[in-house]
Amino acid sequence: MTPFCKTDIPLTRGPAARHGLPMARQAILPRTAPFDDSERASLDAVLGAATPIQRAWLAGFLAGLDAAGGQPAALPAAPPKAVEPLTIIYASESGNCEALAGSVAKLAKKGGFKPKVVDFADLDIATLAGAKNLIAIAATWGEGEPPARATRAYNELMGDGAPRLDGVTFGVLALGDTSYVEFCAIGKALDARFEALGGKRGAERADLDLDFDKPAADWIKNTLKALAPAPSADNVVAVDFAGRAAAEDDDDEPSREPVVVEVVDHINLNSSLSDKETIHLALEFEDGAPAYEPGDSLEIYPENDPALVEDILKATNLTGDEALRKALLSERDITTLSATTVERFAKATSHAEAQKLIDSGEVRAWIEGRHLIDLIETFPATLSAEHLNTITRPLPPRAYSIASSRKEVGDEVHLAIVAVRYDTHGRSRSGVASVHVADRIRNGAKLRVKLKPNRHFRLPQDPATDIIMVGPGTGVAPFRAFVQERRAIEAPGRSWLFFGGRHFLHDFLYQLEWQEALEDGSLTKIDVAFSRDQPEKIYVQDRIRHHARELVEWLDGGASFYVCGDANRMAKDVRNAVVGAYQEAKALSPADAEAAVAALERAHRYQQDVY
Amino acid sequence: MRTDDIENTRTNRNITMDDLTPPRTYETPPTARPIDEAEAAREAGLAHNEHIKIASGFLRGTLADGLLKHATGAISEDDGQLVKFHGMYQQDDRDLRPERTKKKLDKAYSFMIRLRIAGGVVTPKQWLVLDDIATTYANGTLRATTRQTFQYHGVIKSNLKRTMAAIDGALLDTIAACGDVNRNVMAATNPAQSGAHKAAYELGKEISDSLLPKTNAWREIWLDGEKVVGGEPEFEPVYGKTYLPRKFKIVIAVPPSNEVDVFAHDLGFIAILDKKNRVTGWNVTVGGGMGMTHGEPDTFPRTADVMLFCKPDEAVRVAEAVMTVQRDWGNRKNRKNARLKYTIERYGLAAFRAEVEKRVGTKLADPKPFAFTGNGDRYGWTEGDDGRHHLTLYVPSGRIKDVEGDGPKLLTGLRRIAEIHEGDFRLTGNQNVIIANVPAEKRAEIEALVDEYGMQKGAGALRRNSIACVALPTCGLALAESERYLPDLMTELEESLASHGLQDDEITIRMTGCPNGCARPFIAEIGFVGRGPERYHLYLGAAFDGSRLGKLYAEDVTASEIRTILDPLFGAYAQGKAPGERFGDFLIRAGYVARTFNGPDFHTNIGALKGVA
Repeated sequence: MTPFCKTDIPLTRGPAARHGLPMARQAILPRTAPFDDSERASLDAVLGAATPIQRAWLAGFLAGLDAAGGQPAALPAAPPKAVEPLTIIYASESGNCEALAGSVAKLAKKGGFKPKVVDFADLDIATLAGAKNLIAIAATWGEGEPPARATRAYNELMGDGAPRLDGVTFGVLALGDTSYVEFCAIGKALDARFEALGGKRGAERADLDLDFDKPAADWIKNTLKALAPAPSADNVVAVDFAGRAAAEDDDDEPSREPVVVEVVDHINLNSSLSDKETIHLALEFEDGAPAYEPGDSLEIYPENDPALVEDILKATNLTGDEALRKALLSERDITTLSATTVERFAKATSHAEAQKLIDSGEVRAWIEGRHLIDLIETFPATLSAEHLNTITRPLPPRAYSIASSRKEVGDEVHLAIVAVRYDTHGRSRSGVASVHVADRIRNGAKLRVKLKPNRHFRLPQDPATDIIMVGPGTGVAPFRAFVQERRAIEAPGRSWLFFGGRHFLHDFLYQLEWQEALEDGSLTKIDVAFSRDQPEKIYVQDRIRHHARELVEWLDGGASFYVCGDANRMAKDVRNAVVGAYQEAKALSPADAEAAVAALERAHRYQQDVY
Repeated sequence: MRTDDIENTRTNRNITMDDLTPPRTYETPPTARPIDEAEAAREAGLAHNEHIKIASGFLRGTLADGLLKHATGAISEDDGQLVKFHGMYQQDDRDLRPERTKKKLDKAYSFMIRLRIAGGVVTPKQWLVLDDIATTYANGTLRATTRQTFQYHGVIKSNLKRTMAAIDGALLDTIAACGDVNRNVMAATNPAQSGAHKAAYELGKEISDSLLPKTNAWREIWLDGEKVVGGEPEFEPVYGKTYLPRKFKIVIAVPPSNEVDVFAHDLGFIAILDKKNRVTGWNVTVGGGMGMTHGEPDTFPRTADVMLFCKPDEAVRVAEAVMTVQRDWGNRKNRKNARLKYTIERYGLAAFRAEVEKRVGTKLADPKPFAFTGNGDRYGWTEGDDGRHHLTLYVPSGRIKDVEGDGPKLLTGLRRIAEIHEGDFRLTGNQNVIIANVPAEKRAEIEALVDEYGMQKGAGALRRNSIACVALPTCGLALAESERYLPDLMTELEESLASHGLQDDEITIRMTGCPNGCARPFIAEIGFVGRGPERYHLYLGAAFDGSRLGKLYAEDVTASEIRTILDPLFGAYAQGKAPGERFGDFLIRAGYVARTFNGPDFHTNIGALKGVA
C-alpha cells in the first residue's frame, strides 16, 4: 500500500459524498505517467474528486516541495499568487458577521481567491458592479432591520441608484435569531435584490440562528467551492509553507473558548425603590483577564430558570429524566418560541391542533409573547427527551458590553446587566441570562464567559480627541470603561456623557463614580434625562436637542460620538437628534444635516453599540 | 369660660422669675447697625451664615449654577443655607441612606418646599393647584405644618423650577418661608368670631407683605425672571444685606383661643376685644421660641413676654420696630444664641420695649387683660356670627394623603371639596384644615363628601390635642421618629387613659424628632423630644393653653417605657384632680414635677420630684 491509498478516507467526506453522488473514479493520469497502476488509480481517485482549487493547490504544493528540496518546513514563504477576485461584504452589528467575513477571507485566500473584505459601513455600492464574485454576510436586527452601521449602504442597495450586477456571481449568508419574527429578513432581502439586479446566484442562501458556528463553516466551504473558477494552465496556487496565514489566525482571534470566572462583586445598582434591577458584576479571571479593550463585550453562558425546567419536565411527564434536566438547565434554549419550533413540534408529536395552527397561517401571531412552555402546555402531547432536543436550539450565550478598563480594574471585567422581567399571556417571563445573573448568581459564584471583541466601538486613537457618549440605562456600561481608560492614560481630550433612566433618585447608575469623574476631570460634562420624574417624558435625545449648538461645536472640533443601548428606538432617536442638531446649529437643510452625520459615520466618528 | 380658668391663666402669667430671684442685671444694647462688609464681619468673628448672607448678593449665591450640576441632586453647602430664604430645605431620604453608597448612588436628595400663606387662607382654586403639585412633583402628599402653611416633601432638584412656577401660577410663593427672615405670619382662624378673625387675618397679611424681603432673587432663580442688571443696585430697605440674625416668627391670636400658640413665637399680637367681639387693639408679646440644643443649657425654649398694648393702626409699625430691633441687637456671632428670646434675656424687656417705642415714635400702653382657654382646635361644624358655616377636619399629623385600603382619603376628598367649595380653606396651627365660609345650603353636600372619603370631623380627646413634626425620613435634623410614631403611641396611651376613665379629658400631647421644636413640644402637657432612635426626653407640667413650659420629667425614655411612666400619673390625676384642673397644672400642684417659670429655669429642678404609687 502506498501512503496515497490511505488518503482514500477524505474522499468519503468530499462534497460528492455529501451530496450522495457516485464517487468519481475516471482515469485522469495518462498511462505514460511515472507511476505504477495502483499508484495511478489512487491518484486518479484523489484528483478525480478534487475541486479545481484543490488541484491548483496541489500543483503549487508539489512545486514548492520540489524547490525546497523536500524540506517544506524550512522554506521561506513563496508569495501567494492569488488569481480569482472575491468581494466579501458584511453587515454586522455585534461582530458575528464581521468575524465570519474574516473566516471567508482566510479560507478563500487558501483556496486561490483574492478576497477583499468590505464593511457595509464603508461600502461604495457602485463598486459592486465590478465584483466578479460576491459574498454577502448580513445580520438582521430588531424588527427586521439592518445593523445600524449598514443602514446607509443597505438603503442605497435597495434604492433606485443600485448598480446592475450582471456578471456577478453571489452568495448570501444570513444571520438572525429565530426568536424574532422577521428572521434573517436582511439576508433574504439582499439575496433577492442581488438576483433582481442581474446577479447570478452561485450558492444557495443559508439562514442561520444563533448557533451558527458549524452551519456557517459548512456554508463557507461549499460556497467557496461553488464560486471557484474552472482550472486553467496558470491556475497554480503558491502554497505558504511557513504557515504565515496560520500565525495570523492566532493574532486575530483571541481565545474563542469560554473560561470560568469568579463573581467577586454583585450589586444591584438601582435603589430599593426602583422598579428596575441592574446588576453590577465584577468578574475575576484567575489566569488573567483576556486582553480586552474598552468597547468590547463579554459573553455569558447562562443557565435556565430551574423552575421553568421543572415546568417543562412536568408538562412533558419527564420529571424522572436527570440527564434531560441537566441538558435543559444549561444546554438547550427552552424559552424561545419560533415558527420553526412550532413546526418541529407538530412534526415530532403529530399534534393535530398544533398542525392546525400552522395551517391556519396564524403561527406568527400566536407565538408573539409566548414561550416554549406555552406551546407544550397548550398542545399537550407525549414528548420524549429526543423530541425536546429536536425542537429546541442550543442555549446561546448573551453578550454584555464591558463596563471596565483593565488599566483600572486589572484582572477583572465589570458588567452592568439589567434584569429583564415582564408578564405575557398570564405568565411572568424573565430574560435567561439577566435573571440568571440577578437571581441565582451571588458573590463567589462561577460563570462561564467568553470575550467578544468589537473593533467598531473604540476610543479615538488620539487621546486628545473629545468624545461624546450617549448611554441611557445599561447603555452607559462601555462609557464607564471609556472614562476609566481615559482617566488611566490621562487623556487630554474632553468627554461629555448623556445618561438616562426612569428616576433620578433610583436609577442613576454609577452616580457616585460620575461625580468623582467630574471632580478629577476624566469626565468633563454630564447631562441626564430621567423619563418619569416629570409629567412629560424626557429622553437623552431631548437633552441632545437642547444642547444642539454646543454638541455641533464639539463635533466640528473633531469629537467622536458614541451611542450604546437600545437599538429599536433610542439609537434612532439619538441619530435623528444629532441630525436635528446640525440643522439647528448650522442652519442646514435636512439633507445636508443628514449628510453631515453620514460623513461622521464614514469617518468612524459616529459609532454605535446597540442591541 | 369659668372664672377659675381665667384665674389659673392669669396666675400662670403673673408670677415671673423676677418675683423669685434677685433683680437681674442686663447688658447695654448695641447702637450700631449689623456689620455687612465681609472684612469687618471676619474681624468681628461673625457666624458663618453671616458671611454667606453678605456674599450672597441678596440671596442668590450660586444657586442658579447649582441647578445645572446634573450629576448631583444636591446643591452646595452654602447654597443650602441660602435656599432656606427661598422656602426650601435640602433633605435626603434617611431610610435609604444605608444602601446608597453601596449601590454607588449619592444620598437620595430632595427638597422640602414650604409655602408662605399668611394666615393659612387658600382659595379652592389655589387648593386644586397645590394638590396637583403634590402628586406631580412631590411625594403625593400635602403636609399642613404647625405654622399654618403647606410644605411639600421629596421634590428633586430638577423639578424645583417647575414646582416654583406652578406655585407662582397659584399666586402663591415660598419667599421667606424659612431662613433668617420673618417667616409665614400666622393668624387666628377661630371661625366663631368672624369679625375678629378678619381683623387678625388682615393684620397678619399686612405684616407679611410689609416684612417680605424685596430681593428679586426668588423670581430670577426659580422663574427665570428678569435679572437686575446695571442701574439701581438692589437693596433691602428693612433687612439690609444680612437679613436677621436668625429666624423670626410672628402670630396673631384672638382669645379665648390660643390656637396659634402666641407664647411660642418671637412676636405675637393678642386681640383685645370689646363686648361685641370687635378688636380695640393688640397686646404685643415678644421673645417666645422653642428651639434648644441637647446638652447645651445656655439654649432653652422660652415663652413670650406680654410687653405692651398698641392700637390697631400702630400694629404694623410695632411689628417692624420689634423686628428691626432684633435685627440690630440680635447675636450674630452665635446662631444658637441669636433668636429674639436671647436678645431679651440679654438686654432686658424694659430696654427692648423702650427701643421699640423709640422706633415707633410714641410711648405705648401697658398690656390689657386677656384670657386663653386652650391652644387646640374646635372640631366639626361651627357657625360664625355672620351666619356662615365652618367645618374643622382632623388631619392626623397634618398629612393630607390618601391612605391605602379603607383608610381616609384626605387628599382626594379635599380635592373633591375644593372642586365645589365656594368659600375658602384655612390651615390651623394644629395642622388641621377648616373648610370655611360655607353657605348653609352647601353644608349637606360637603358633609356627604367628608363621609364618602372617610375624613374625620374629630378624634379622641388625646388625638384632638396632638401635634407631631415631620421628622424621619426626610428631616435632616431628626434624631428620632415623630409623625410615623406618635399615632401608635397615642393608641397605647388612649388605652391607659381609658383605664382611668380619662378618655374624654383634653390633654395636649406633642412630639418632635429633635429639640428644635417644630411641634412646640415644650408647651405641651405631655411633650416628647427625640434624643436618638426610639429614645425621647419626656416633658411634663406645661399649661394647657400654651402659656407655660413643661419640665424635663424623664430622660432618654425608650418608646416601650413611655406608657409605664405615664400610666401611674394618669391614675394619680384621675384620683386627685380638682374640678376643671388640667393635667399639667395638677402635676405641679400635686408635686410630681417642678413648675417652669420661663426659659432660664427650664433646665433646673428637672426630673420626677416624687414617686408615684
